[in-house]
Amino acid sequence: MSKVDRRDFLKLVGAGGVGAGAGFMLAESIKHPIEHLVPYAVPPEEYSPGVATWYNSVCGMCSAGCGITVRTREGRAKKIEGNPSHPVNQGRLCALGQAGLQTLYNPDRITAPMLRSGDRGSGSFTQTTWEDGLNRVAERLEDAQRGSGDTYLLSRGVRGNLDNLLGLFMAGLGSENLLHYDFDHPHSLYAANLRTFGEELLPYYDIQNASYLLSFGADYLNDWLSPVHNSLGFGRSRQGGDHDRGRFVQVEPKMSISGAAADEWIPAQPGTEGILALGVAHQLVASGTYTGEDLAAWTSALAPYSAASVAAQTGVSSDTVTRLGNEFARATAPLAIGGGATAGHTNAVDALVAINALNYLAGTIGQAGGVIFNPQPVTGSGGHSRQASYQAMLDLADNARAGRISVLIINNTNPVFTMPGAARFAEALESVPVIVSLSTFMDETTALADIVLPSHTYLESWGDDIPQPGVGFSVAAVSQPIVAPLYNTRGTGDIVLALGRKLELTDLMPWADTEELLKFAWQQIYERDGAEAGGDFDAFWRSVLQAGVWGENVRRADMPTIDPGVVASLGVPEPVFVGSEIDYPFVLHTYLSTSMHDGRGANLPWMQELPDPITSVVYGNWIEMNPATAAEQGLKDGDLVQVTSSEGSLEIPLLVFPAIMPGVVAMPIGQGHTEYGRYANNRGANVISILASEVDPASGGLASSATRVSISPTGKRAKLVRTGGVARQLGRDIVQHTGTDAGTAGHSAKLNSIPIVVESA
Amino acid sequence: MQTEVKQQQFADVNDDVVQSLVETGSKYYITLGLALFVTIACFMFPWFYQLYFGIGAAGNNHPAVWGTYLASFIFWIGLSHSGTLLSCVLHITNSEWRKAMYRSAEAMTLFSLMVAATMVMVHVGRPWFIHWAVPYPNQMELWPNFRSPLMFDVMAITTYLTGSLIFIYMGSIPDFAAVRDRTTGWRHHMYVLLSLGWRGTDTEWHRLGWAYTFLAVLIIPLAVSVHSIVSWDFAMSIVPGLHQTIFAPYFVVGAIYSGTAGIVTVMYVLRKYMNFEHFITRLHFDNLGKLLIVLSLIWTYINVLELFTGWYSGTSTEYEQLKFKLFGFYAPLYWEMILFCAAVPLLMISRRIRTSFVAMLWISIAVNIGMYTERFLIVATTQSRQYLPDAWGLYVPSLVEISIIIGSLAMFVTLFLIFVKIFPSVSIYEVKETMEPPKKKEGTPAWQATH
Amino acid sequence: MSFIDRFVAGWRKHRKPGYYDKLDYAWSMTIDLDRCTGCGACVTACQAENNLAIVGEKDLAAGREMQWIRIERYWDGEYPNATLNFIPMLCQHCDAAPCETVCPVSATYHNQDGLNVQVYNRCIGTRSCAVYCPYEVRYFNYHDHHWDTPLEQQLNPDVSVREKGVMEKCTFCVQRIRQAKDHAKDDGGRRVQDGEVQPACVQTCPAEALVFGDRQDPNSQVSQSMSSPRAYNPLGDLNTQPSVVYLKKVGADAD
Repeated sequence: MSKVDRRDFLKLVGAGGVGAGAGFMLAESIKHPIEHLVPYAVPPEEYSPGVATWYNSVCGMCSAGCGITVRTREGRAKKIEGNPSHPVNQGRLCALGQAGLQTLYNPDRITAPMLRSGDRGSGSFTQTTWEDGLNRVAERLEDAQRGSGDTYLLSRGVRGNLDNLLGLFMAGLGSENLLHYDFDHPHSLYAANLRTFGEELLPYYDIQNASYLLSFGADYLNDWLSPVHNSLGFGRSRQGGDHDRGRFVQVEPKMSISGAAADEWIPAQPGTEGILALGVAHQLVASGTYTGEDLAAWTSALAPYSAASVAAQTGVSSDTVTRLGNEFARATAPLAIGGGATAGHTNAVDALVAINALNYLAGTIGQAGGVIFNPQPVTGSGGHSRQASYQAMLDLADNARAGRISVLIINNTNPVFTMPGAARFAEALESVPVIVSLSTFMDETTALADIVLPSHTYLESWGDDIPQPGVGFSVAAVSQPIVAPLYNTRGTGDIVLALGRKLELTDLMPWADTEELLKFAWQQIYERDGAEAGGDFDAFWRSVLQAGVWGENVRRADMPTIDPGVVASLGVPEPVFVGSEIDYPFVLHTYLSTSMHDGRGANLPWMQELPDPITSVVYGNWIEMNPATAAEQGLKDGDLVQVTSSEGSLEIPLLVFPAIMPGVVAMPIGQGHTEYGRYANNRGANVISILASEVDPASGGLASSATRVSISPTGKRAKLVRTGGVARQLGRDIVQHTGTDAGTAGHSAKLNSIPIVVESA
Repeated sequence: MQTEVKQQQFADVNDDVVQSLVETGSKYYITLGLALFVTIACFMFPWFYQLYFGIGAAGNNHPAVWGTYLASFIFWIGLSHSGTLLSCVLHITNSEWRKAMYRSAEAMTLFSLMVAATMVMVHVGRPWFIHWAVPYPNQMELWPNFRSPLMFDVMAITTYLTGSLIFIYMGSIPDFAAVRDRTTGWRHHMYVLLSLGWRGTDTEWHRLGWAYTFLAVLIIPLAVSVHSIVSWDFAMSIVPGLHQTIFAPYFVVGAIYSGTAGIVTVMYVLRKYMNFEHFITRLHFDNLGKLLIVLSLIWTYINVLELFTGWYSGTSTEYEQLKFKLFGFYAPLYWEMILFCAAVPLLMISRRIRTSFVAMLWISIAVNIGMYTERFLIVATTQSRQYLPDAWGLYVPSLVEISIIIGSLAMFVTLFLIFVKIFPSVSIYEVKETMEPPKKKEGTPAWQATH
Repeated sequence: MSFIDRFVAGWRKHRKPGYYDKLDYAWSMTIDLDRCTGCGACVTACQAENNLAIVGEKDLAAGREMQWIRIERYWDGEYPNATLNFIPMLCQHCDAAPCETVCPVSATYHNQDGLNVQVYNRCIGTRSCAVYCPYEVRYFNYHDHHWDTPLEQQLNPDVSVREKGVMEKCTFCVQRIRQAKDHAKDDGGRRVQDGEVQPACVQTCPAEALVFGDRQDPNSQVSQSMSSPRAYNPLGDLNTQPSVVYLKKVGADAD
């Protein structure tokens, strides 16, 4: 890295999209964090001071994998925009993606390798060098290889070639224990798809071309799968062209922003959404829309789900059930999706299978506006196979407690925060002799580490990604460093490669750094596609970096069909709730907050200051309750209440919420951190901590909707900051509505993509 | 309670007034010191704190960007109408009973305007640039925005201040001359300068009379326009609660009302502490009380109008404002205002109350508290409840603001205290016009010739 | 022309804010309420682009927001028929702006692009513009703001950082407009093409609810969007002639 050889020189001369040279040069010239805004006397070649340079990359703030392009000035990242060429987000980006700049420039980053100096969890660390840190970790890993215990690597969800690299590394260590852990990974959806279609994958839900979207709990505009792409689809289905305006119906116990955007919000008894789906399917089949060969089997399987029966079980009126069925049947391009609370019950997989069946019966599998399956990832891994279900995490904790784990490597995941307290995960970690963390930020899990080898943020790293779910055709994107590393950190891939060198695994992992690995891996894409266009690999690589994304219009030819066993096993058992209805009268509904997601956004001041769309709360969180219920309980908006489940309790402000079922209370996830930096700490409460440790047996996932709670007043008023005033129009016609006829006339014009303009000198 | 004292002679008037100027006891110095101390502690220091840290030291927020500073500004401008009324209006109507009081009233006008000007400086976010609101030739080649009601304010208040200053000074020249001839030392020199060589000739008296009447007639519309213009700071907006045609008369009436009440307060203090019992009598308080009742009734009527039109309009914006004013967060203040400004003054229907010095003092203080509350409510309630309900908010003044209110009052008192020792606070020559001329030559040495 | 005609013509000309006979561009925006999801991406994008202060919990508790574009939410009805509507609210760049008349030092005025511009250097902080704005979209700097190091590295060098005592508000990302106009001028003196300049909020909106452009260009996206029968202005009867047009949400409670 210290020599600037010919290859590096060529990179320097290359077109503006290549950041590596800048990275090297700047890394050499600036070894310390930038403290003063001093213009260069002789600026580096890549840019002119005063002129912005844009670099493409992939957003790392959630698992959707949107493409980004980042504006830099004088080597500093200034603004993240969506990459117009990336088919997932097409130039758009959500609030959390915009806040990615604050991960890079966050004041609470880990700036160098650290060693624990006090007791575990005391928070005392001393800085050390990379050599020292890497050597120590290598030693521990060698000890582990020789010993009886095993090495575990627990990473946030990664895809593409970084996941492959991690896999090679673990294989080199002789370990099978490479796990990914994301709280919001849709295990039940994968399991449902496996059962329905025989394949454990995520299809592409083509909302854009759907004319009627029936969502069972999926907050597709906020956090479900690929929210920016879903929002694009929503907008275009609504008003994006010369077609009839799309209709959106949301079934959930508490109104999410998708529920707010919907034309109809339908509260159904928690855990009965699957029954409602079957009721809709019953109506669809009864209306004669389905003409498949197995019609008779379906008719008999769906017979118990008449409107009256479904109404009795779900609380939705039979008229509504019938109407939904007819609307779904008559729609030109209907689409049903499931997620959110629906995917968190103990009957989640059955419910999602029912929803899959509904799509199948409507004939939308493989159709535009329906469920479209993606081709295989062209490089690297799709990432799902290593995602640890909740059960797998419990098993990990058991293994830890039993002393079967010698070394645990954590990479940017925070199970101590995102696992229910009942799993006693932190306690289990006490029995692990060596915990290494590769995390960028100190968090509740990394606070328990012995050795910290901090990773770059995604804005400083090389990487690649295949977005999940895809968009129906092959897409792959490359992440490149936007700026020189701010601190003495390294890319995760580079850390793993360095460890590999120390452990003499260079046969398996021969690459000098992540960039070399990527180029090696992308050789096969080049041979597939780029070689035809002419030009050598370097030209191809530069073109990929300049576009920020690669794709080919290759779709999956063979759409899976529904497993015949589905008809026979069709049905949704009653959901299991933990806690008796008498002691714990309310079902606890949890959801990912718009700004914090699963808590990862809590250390970003922009996200703490972004008012929640529905409640306008900032710097805190809350629990929502139906107004009539609150009045019955003698609770007022703004009271501090105690929320108690069978696993614990917490204190949180109560908000009266007009669109939540009486027997349900809802609390967003994301606050309640204790070790995540100055903006996140000691704010609100972590609702995950009181969730029951209930496993959905069909998927192994956490049944996050299965907890019942009781609410009691503390007698105190809460200190809650809300930016909004009174959320009623009071007859002032501020938001005006028009009849549905206007849906066809007067649509908003079709929008062009925004071109990237690299400003000339 | 004193009844009429022995018949005053002309010379006694001079004696009393000169004595009030020249003799200063420890009580005076203590009071002055206290007032100065409170000004510095409660006005200067919090203001400097605010200059350093920003307007965030006040309780303002979004949407309530205006607060007590502006309410105080309007209050002090309102108080300044005291002098105008007494001096000018009553001069033109040839009322006798104003003569003893008008000098102090004019002084009140002057100092109220000065304090109001300082409130503007405190209110503004970058006061070090406040001179940009003054049209002076500059390198930026920028004039201020003359279309702005705030610019009308600048010009109107400057004019009013200048006019009042000239008016009070000019009217005091004969008195300066009278005092000049009866003082020695540095005071004598000061009054020599101030009296501009007044000799008391017929020409001079003639000119003074005309100039005085001329200015009096001029200042009346000026005063009406000043407070109308100040009301247009609000009324020219298009936001609910402020955009009302009644504002100009409302503010002018309110100003005269609060100004007159202010005169009562000041007269009480002057009478008690400067030994002016001869000059300021029950008659004066009686007449002021009658004036106050009339003004109170007009004020009440305008408030009822506001309530009625707000309700009658049937629009959500006006109705919500009304509801909020009467029953919302600031409701206690609203009802206090009604009590002090509409109900309590009705006590003055009784002649006994009107001629009781202490009762009038308390009523006048109550009226001014109520009037300050009115200004505060205009600012606070309207900003809290505007067109977009999701932007509604609440405003609570901070300690810095409350301290500055107290400090501004202390500043006014300080200025007044200094005034009473430099200006003859009772007009010597005009008071004599209300008295019988001396019949005998006794007791008046030639060198004490009166003017 | 007769004297009267000349007088009236002169009067009309001087009545128009900025005294322009013709605007160079007339930047306008449409906000489609049928597409807005309330996600808040526009809010964060604007903060990133325009160096908006991180106000902090204490000042937010005091009610001192700093969001040039904010999402307002309004509930209608009660459970189980409650509906929720979002409406982004930003400076409407009114052609008859009440804030422009009231600023005593002309720190806010209408420029030749139809924008209501705020000149930070000239503002003395009387805050009357904020009182006069019926949309309440003006935000005041109550303190000098600071960013915990190294967050200030992210600040946009094309936009000033405002000091205390100064009023600020949405500028339609005037720095981007300037840059686009300069670029077009360098590029052979042409006009700025439709879609070439987008404010940060418009660029990032995931539902494509915001459209921006020159309404004087009949072929621009925004012109077509504004001609929709769903177009309206909230508080329209105040006749401030805003440059931001909203498109009605479709369905339920047809008014």
